[in-house]
Amino acid sequence: MTASPFEIEIPRGRVIEVQRDDTRVRWGGGLLRGMAVVWKHWKESFKLNRSYSQIHGTFTIEYPEEQPRIPEAYRNMPILLYDDETGHELCTSCFQCERICPPQVIHMTQAKDPATGKPVPAVAEFIIEYDACMSCGFCAEVCPFDAIKMDHEFELSTDDHTRLTVHKEQLLRPISYYAKIAPTMWAEVRESALKKLQGNVRRRPDVIGLAPQLTEKIAARRAELAAQAVQAAQAAAAAPAAPAAAPAEGRKLTPEEKAAKLAAIRAAKTAQAGESATPAEAAPAPPSPAPAGEAAPSADKAAKLAAIRAANAAKKAAAGEAPATLPVAPADGMAGDTPADAPPAAPPADKAARLAAIRAANAAKKQQSGDGS
Amino acid sequence: MLQTQELQVNIGPQHPSTHGVFRMLVTVDGETVVDLKPVFGYLHRNHEQIAEANSYLQNMPYTDRLDYFNSMANNHAYAMAVERLAGIEVPERAEYIRVLMVELTRILNHASAVGFMINDMGAWQTPLAFGMREREKILDLFEMASGARLMCNYFRFGGVVRDLPPEFIPNLRELLRALPAYIDELERLLRDNEILLQRAIGIGILPPEVALSYGVSGPVLRGSGIPYDVRKAEPYSVYDRFDFDVPIGKVGDVYDRFLVRIEEMRQSKRIIEQVLEQLPDAKGGHINPKARQNVRPPVGDAYARIESPKGELGFYLVSDGSTKPYRYKVRAPSFINLTPLADMCRGYKVADIVVILGSIDIVMGEVDR
Repeated sequence: MTASPFEIEIPRGRVIEVQRDDTRVRWGGGLLRGMAVVWKHWKESFKLNRSYSQIHGTFTIEYPEEQPRIPEAYRNMPILLYDDETGHELCTSCFQCERICPPQVIHMTQAKDPATGKPVPAVAEFIIEYDACMSCGFCAEVCPFDAIKMDHEFELSTDDHTRLTVHKEQLLRPISYYAKIAPTMWAEVRESALKKLQGNVRRRPDVIGLAPQLTEKIAARRAELAAQAVQAAQAAAAAPAAPAAAPAEGRKLTPEEKAAKLAAIRAAKTAQAGESATPAEAAPAPPSPAPAGEAAPSADKAAKLAAIRAANAAKKAAAGEAPATLPVAPADGMAGDTPADAPPAAPPADKAARLAAIRAANAAKKQQSGDGS
Repeated sequence: MLQTQELQVNIGPQHPSTHGVFRMLVTVDGETVVDLKPVFGYLHRNHEQIAEANSYLQNMPYTDRLDYFNSMANNHAYAMAVERLAGIEVPERAEYIRVLMVELTRILNHASAVGFMINDMGAWQTPLAFGMREREKILDLFEMASGARLMCNYFRFGGVVRDLPPEFIPNLRELLRALPAYIDELERLLRDNEILLQRAIGIGILPPEVALSYGVSGPVLRGSGIPYDVRKAEPYSVYDRFDFDVPIGKVGDVYDRFLVRIEEMRQSKRIIEQVLEQLPDAKGGHINPKARQNVRPPVGDAYARIESPKGELGFYLVSDGSTKPYRYKVRAPSFINLTPLADMCRGYKVADIVVILGSIDIVMGEVDR
């Protein structure tokens, strides 16, 4: 540690010269010292030691047998989230991630309302090119709706290159999945994300923005519920023949009232052999309720269509009514852990009831305005 | 009279010890190097031009890919340049976290640089594994904080992505307990080794005047005996609050550079300890600025430099008032440290070339950009 030849004063520290000691005669002693270090490590390598404070022992992981502990913040590839309970996607196609993406691998198109052609806050197609993604995590960072998150899955190797262009169907994961891999990070944003989702769902026509994994199940369930409602109403309509009179004018109706009314109307209609009403409504309102329960593909489609139409009509029909909030909390004890397997029970049931009510109101209107068509 | 002639030999570009795709056109007279011409550009990927087409924030992950050993240091220099350009204040706690990350980077870089240098001497893999060992633990810490081991992308303008996770500091303290033993052991393993001494002492001498005239920086310059460290010469961030020494070499050979790196690891450990002492007092403010997506600096230019593990890393940015840099220039330490390679190699044996190259500690991602 001799003084520097440059004699420079530096603040809060010294200039130190390294000790070379290169004149010492060693006769192989240095080699032996190095060998001793290697020997010690070889001996210790049979012991497992995962502690950070030890330099001896094995701390490696035998990967395929043993999975590495992945920290929460780990980011690999982006995924999209959907709500397990209602199947609504969180993405609203705001294009923030597409804009920020440095290698420009995110592509999306905005969904349009099939009835009006207006864009709605939902995404129609969403593509991420995983092969060019640099895993920077900006998309997850800028997303105002917490819809895009970074996955922990890293075993993505494939012999099919085209599979690395990933579409929305493969990108979507339930919220519960993300909450499992990153609990604290999800807990931080959970409140606001779900709140924003609710707000956006209100502006979406019914089936738009639903996770494709769940659309079929939801449609089937809806058809089933509609059939049940019809059945119940037919039974009810048999006794009181009166309520088929006039549609409520400005009066606020509870969904149950509406459903009952609708069913009555429909029962009356079917009695009149009203099969000719509209082709879309023909399927879910058959004379006998049994066939609707079996989710035939056409019934499925019809249900979807009807749902869209119903949502539109709901605005008109129940203008005075406060906007019906979409249920986010599950009504029954449906656990959020295994969303894909459990049927989306409660909220769609609720919805289906509403839907049936709306449809009834429509039919009633039509009937009133002259039995044309 | 025996007629001898000089021979031209290509080392690289696909040589296992060229630290990437790098070609050296060596003129040899027997075993002695007469001249050496470095040929690079094989890894050129238009970094600066791409950066001029990107917005300021979008460039951050690209800087990770410059010197992929020290992504944190690259992020720091770039973030500083943009902050200087746009006049963004950094909260104190974020500054401490930045210093912490860059010093951890320095330790892992020097450990692996020493390992690779020994690898270049022909001690294949085993000493390198010793060099890589603590690096793994540091990378685990990086992954914990930033989400990635190498391409950290952790810094943002005006802070860092997120605060340190709760398990970070305890793990770091454990690691700090291991570090002195680790550095001592690495030194014991290599320092007195006769083979290493023969391969390193008096080899690749870079005289201080030559080093200065080439603009060399970092451990290579300090190995030549010039106590120049940007952290001391122009204290940035919060470096003026820490006590640490600047090690310098005596001769400027491979051995000096090796010893300087070992000593710098110790000094980095000292800095990290001081960071941990002062970190709780540092008041945060909002250290993870999510809103700075569209930085739009006023017209002007800025140069920010840091002492990256490899030397002085600088970013020069010119703004025309838009969201994209008008000019983006990287002063890459690897590239500038590589330029005196011919002077360092001339007169030594062919086998020494690779060792000298290893002692400069280059990363081709940064040289070619």
